[in-house]
Amino acid sequence: MNAVSIDDPKSLLADADPRFWDVLRARTRDAEAFEDLLPLSTLRRKALKRGLAFPTGAAPVRLKLAIVGGCSLFPLHELIEHFLLNAPGSGFHAQVFQGDYDNYVSEILEADSGLYEFAPEMVLIVPSFKRCRYQGRMTDPIETQREQGVQTATQLLDLCRTVHERSKAEVLLVNFPLPPYHDPGPFRGRTLASDWNFRKLVNMELGLRAPSYVHTCDLEFLSARRGTLASTDEKAWFESKQPCSVDLLVDLAREVAHIVTGLRQGPKKVAVLDLDNTVWGGVIGDDGIDGIDIGDTSPRAEAFKAFQQYLRTLPERGILLAVCSKNDEDKALEPFEKHPDMALRREDFVSFKANWMPKSDNIRAIAQELNLGLDSFVFIDDNPAEIEIVKQFAPEVTGVLLGPDPSRYAREIMDARLFEPRAITVEDAERAELYKQEAQRQQLEANFTDMDSYLSSLNMKCVISEFRTVDAPRIAQLIGRSNQFNVTTHRRTEAEVRQVIEDPAYCAYTMRLEDRFGDYGLIAIVIGRVEGRTEGNVFDVDTWLMSCRVLKRQVEEETVNEMVRLAKARGCTRIHGVYLPTKKNGMVRDLYPRMGFAVALEQPDRREFELDPMLYTPVDTKINVIQRAYQPL
Amino acid sequence: MTQAEVIAKLQPVFDDVFMDKVDVTPQLTAKDVGEWDSLVHITLVLSIEKAFKIRFGVGEVEATRNVGDLADLIAKKLPA
Repeated sequence: MNAVSIDDPKSLLADADPRFWDVLRARTRDAEAFEDLLPLSTLRRKALKRGLAFPTGAAPVRLKLAIVGGCSLFPLHELIEHFLLNAPGSGFHAQVFQGDYDNYVSEILEADSGLYEFAPEMVLIVPSFKRCRYQGRMTDPIETQREQGVQTATQLLDLCRTVHERSKAEVLLVNFPLPPYHDPGPFRGRTLASDWNFRKLVNMELGLRAPSYVHTCDLEFLSARRGTLASTDEKAWFESKQPCSVDLLVDLAREVAHIVTGLRQGPKKVAVLDLDNTVWGGVIGDDGIDGIDIGDTSPRAEAFKAFQQYLRTLPERGILLAVCSKNDEDKALEPFEKHPDMALRREDFVSFKANWMPKSDNIRAIAQELNLGLDSFVFIDDNPAEIEIVKQFAPEVTGVLLGPDPSRYAREIMDARLFEPRAITVEDAERAELYKQEAQRQQLEANFTDMDSYLSSLNMKCVISEFRTVDAPRIAQLIGRSNQFNVTTHRRTEAEVRQVIEDPAYCAYTMRLEDRFGDYGLIAIVIGRVEGRTEGNVFDVDTWLMSCRVLKRQVEEETVNEMVRLAKARGCTRIHGVYLPTKKNGMVRDLYPRMGFAVALEQPDRREFELDPMLYTPVDTKINVIQRAYQPL
Repeated sequence: MTQAEVIAKLQPVFDDVFMDKVDVTPQLTAKDVGEWDSLVHITLVLSIEKAFKIRFGVGEVEATRNVGDLADLIAKKLPA
């Protein structure tokens, strides 16, 4: 890794040029070693101190982060602040609470500690590595050793639970790096009492037992990736209680920022692929179907086939594949249809654009077809010029420029860390299938002249249910990633969804839809809160969101039908709805009035609506509602 | 490397660590620099090790009285 030259951001800072922040972000992304990062971090602090403005519309989001642990938290906290501010998107401006050295247990257990006074949104715990050792003999029975490992893990998770219950914060838990020492030699594998095996055991128990509000910063993995020797610095521990080498500190800080970003930003949903020299070697238009490199005929051909096999695993994670290639369509399709060694086939793609239009236009068209935001798109190409054009004309899209060697393509995508699963749900795996059905539906829609007969022909069935614990992961996922059809964009974690289920003041339901082409799964959510007022109970709509896949299917109407039914059942004389505008939810600006609500308040940043349930006539739809919420089956 | 050469090479390291400009001289001590507290000291030592590709022994830096001593210590660790 070459040392990062900082001349560029330095002069931008001297000129008070807001482009400084973009350059800083790019340099930070490429820097790997501590000596590369530190000057950038100092520049960041200088720029903040001088009050250098952020580019318009890209001000970082504020975040209250507490860091507690069994080691010195400096300079770790500074590196974390740096990576957070330079995270993809607009980044995070962190206000950091630093715990005292090795005081994390009491800070967490004492309800009146500074930690809770700070009211963190997220808490990072760096437990003491020194306390992750087996107390006993190498020759103790394995079961005795295992029990102690499990106990070490559950004690840590108990701390996580305490801090989560008291502060409602998401918890980031650092696990234990592997030791670099030879001792006790090959015997380390025959016992759980060796530091090597004991740490692996505790880490595994931590990972498998972690509840959904605990997010593991996997230092075991990071130390293995960097090398355990390069990750260890004994002197830094004795002199200033550093937990590890400064280079591993950089990896840890970057990981923390990655997890925080993942918790706060919507995931990527679509991988758009170039074809020539991306999914096969050579140019189909020049080399022809017999001339391209794909299959088992040469190392290069094998590498492309392996890359295709990797790409084929993405839909299992809920990532959709699409093609965007400068080619004649018939030529581009030929390998998918006729070449026997292609691992990818036409049906693996939800959209296939092979033409001579600018790629940015094609990607926009794909986004429109799928009804997905451009910021959920990743564009993968071997040609830097194409990456640059898309960056210029569709800047929301994340570009991945493949390097010169196809044997590394899969690694490059994996290390770009754009498609990491969060909590995998059944719906994820089925999503690719759903989008294909959507294409068929659009075909059918095009064939019908009137909407009514089209909707009737779909044989739609809907199941409405109160929030159930089993649905909590999917509910939290939808709440986390619905941006367009979402009236308030109130985010809730899985733990917060569970609180809604337990609190009787809430009246919350989900809707599932299926039609003759397939099952959409859980696609709409309403969270209402019933509040007693002197003039009667009010049904306050805290959240109303829906997957855009089911737009124009009359689900909105059935949602209000159910809302009115439940409001009446709870003795409400008024339903109160709010619209909070964001950059993305313009489509629901007039949702309430369209459904018969009256405007009660009109402000640029807030619209409020009201409906008297007694005056509402349920809308007759083409959806057969086979079950309703809060009713016995 | 002479003490003066080491000090010349220390200047950019100090520039990377401190927010305000610090002129590196043999007489300089932590007391002379407002920012140079025990925390920034950690970063400074780690950065010097990286810049010169050397490793200080435990307690060695603590025993130096000023930047001149520190430069001598660095020079001793550099290959001849």
